[in-house]
Amino acid sequence: MNRNIFLRKFLGRLIRAISISFWVMVISFSLIRLSPGDPAAARLGAGAELEAIAALKEQLGLNKSFVSQFIDYFSGVFQGDLGVSLVNGVSVLETILRVLPLTLTYIVLSVFFAFIISIPIGTIIGWSNKASAVYTFRGITSMIIATPNFFIAMIGILLFSVKLNWAPVFGYVSEFPQNLKYLWLPVSINTLILVAIISRVLQTSVVDTKAEEFVETGIIRGVGRPRFFWFYILKPSLAPTVVLLSYMMGTMLGATVILETIFSLPGIGRELVGAVLATDYPMVQGILLFFGVITVFLSFIGDLLAYALDRRVKL
Amino acid sequence: MSSNKAFSADASRSERIKEWISRPGGFGIIAGCIMFVAITVFGFIYPLVGPYGTDEFVGESLEGPSLAHPMGLDQLGRDVMTRVFAAVPSDIGIAFLGVTIPLIIGTIVGILLGISKNKYMVSFVSSLIDGINAFPLLIIAIAMVTFLGPGLINVVIILTLMSWARYARIARTRAVVVLQQNYIEATQLMGYSKRRVIAKHVAPNVSSESLAYALSDFILVIIIVSGLSFLGFAARPPMAEWGAMIADGRTFIGQAWWLTIFPGLALCWSAISLSFIVEGLSRRDRGNS
Repeated sequence: MNRNIFLRKFLGRLIRAISISFWVMVISFSLIRLSPGDPAAARLGAGAELEAIAALKEQLGLNKSFVSQFIDYFSGVFQGDLGVSLVNGVSVLETILRVLPLTLTYIVLSVFFAFIISIPIGTIIGWSNKASAVYTFRGITSMIIATPNFFIAMIGILLFSVKLNWAPVFGYVSEFPQNLKYLWLPVSINTLILVAIISRVLQTSVVDTKAEEFVETGIIRGVGRPRFFWFYILKPSLAPTVVLLSYMMGTMLGATVILETIFSLPGIGRELVGAVLATDYPMVQGILLFFGVITVFLSFIGDLLAYALDRRVKL
Repeated sequence: MSSNKAFSADASRSERIKEWISRPGGFGIIAGCIMFVAITVFGFIYPLVGPYGTDEFVGESLEGPSLAHPMGLDQLGRDVMTRVFAAVPSDIGIAFLGVTIPLIIGTIVGILLGISKNKYMVSFVSSLIDGINAFPLLIIAIAMVTFLGPGLINVVIILTLMSWARYARIARTRAVVVLQQNYIEATQLMGYSKRRVIAKHVAPNVSSESLAYALSDFILVIIIVSGLSFLGFAARPPMAEWGAMIADGRTFIGQAWWLTIFPGLALCWSAISLSFIVEGLSRRDRGNS
């Protein structure tokens, strides 16, 4: 019975995620048609020949009707065909798959470190709930959150690259041991920002959890310390944190654009900026679609994880 | 007698202010407001009364901070302090537009969705809203630059096209709740026109929540406007704008830290002042915790 309800809700959420993804596709497809004037002419500049403009229009599929274009695009996406870059003729999907591992590496690393650091901070401050500690904690974290990541990155570069010479100012080498030299600063900056966000949410939800009746029951029953902290405090408090993190993922992926540009890391964010500067429409569209779909499915996974951690969460 | 009365009125007012501040979050709200008003006022006054022009070359390039130029000079020998304050309209001003226009449009759309009886229309617009909200705001803003071109006005257009959806979702959820309240039923019993009910009874109750969200959105939008400028997609070079100034400073980070630090501090100052207000308001909302 219970299992059936779960399955139904799971399927419901999945269908919702798929239908949002469909809309994400519609939007990333339609954007090029929103541009004022002729995108083909805009890309080729004022001196372009009419034949060249017509050829580009043909290539972009802009000369067909909206609906037939969309059907082409839609069926293309399902075959893994996101189009071809206007700059170097490489397939968009191939480019995304080439630049993605780096972005994923440093996002996964910073999420991992952020959780390791935030869990003790959030739990201890939430559990003790001492006014002075809470004030200091919330003051510092809200300052970090309100500071734009590129300014934190610039301060990091100023301190660690210019003054202390601990990290290269920019650049990247993809071989394993050397790449850590380039990665540690961007990863630390991302971690710092994430720690501020995660530990704040965790602290709030630990305070809420503490007020629950089962916590008192746990204390009365004399549950052992580590067991008590995990089952009675941390596990129920993690659910909101995970949901938030999965929703935050989109914003975080957005932030990589700026960090990658600053540190010249050849990840997906820098690829997007390059594509925008080169008015590479298919590439921009493809990366946009990728970000949208990833965000939708991350929040879907986040909801499932939250349910696994706390069965009272509504799926 | 009259002076005595005035005095007591005065005392009760200062007492009331004290009482207001002493409630949870009061200090944060006051501090945040003072900080925010300070930078806005400075931003509009300093470029007018200050000794240097925004685009005036007043000395050696990359001259360090001194008494005459407290924040130093930039790579073209322009006074950084003048430019930091001159950037207020293009940062806070643009962000303000980028919050208020979507706020108004989104709230109206959300209320209309909440009262609409047309099922197909509602589900169509709701999925559109979900679709738009699925994209990270910074990513879709950058992508839109490809199609609309760079520039501060285009940033406002992009933010309007993309942010209304978040406000519409909040307003719709809230409108559905408000419409079930007894006082709305009462207005119908009293025979008020539909327009009056919406304008006088639904909208004010819906917008309180949207306004609270808009305030925290303001921080995000300031960061996005400056972030886009940092990437070179919003403010164009000669214009004073914090993100663009930090991007300039990045080139000279080895020689001239003041090019990066001072615009960055101004940016932090504005964002932090707003976050103090948001934090204070939410503490007040939650009561004593």
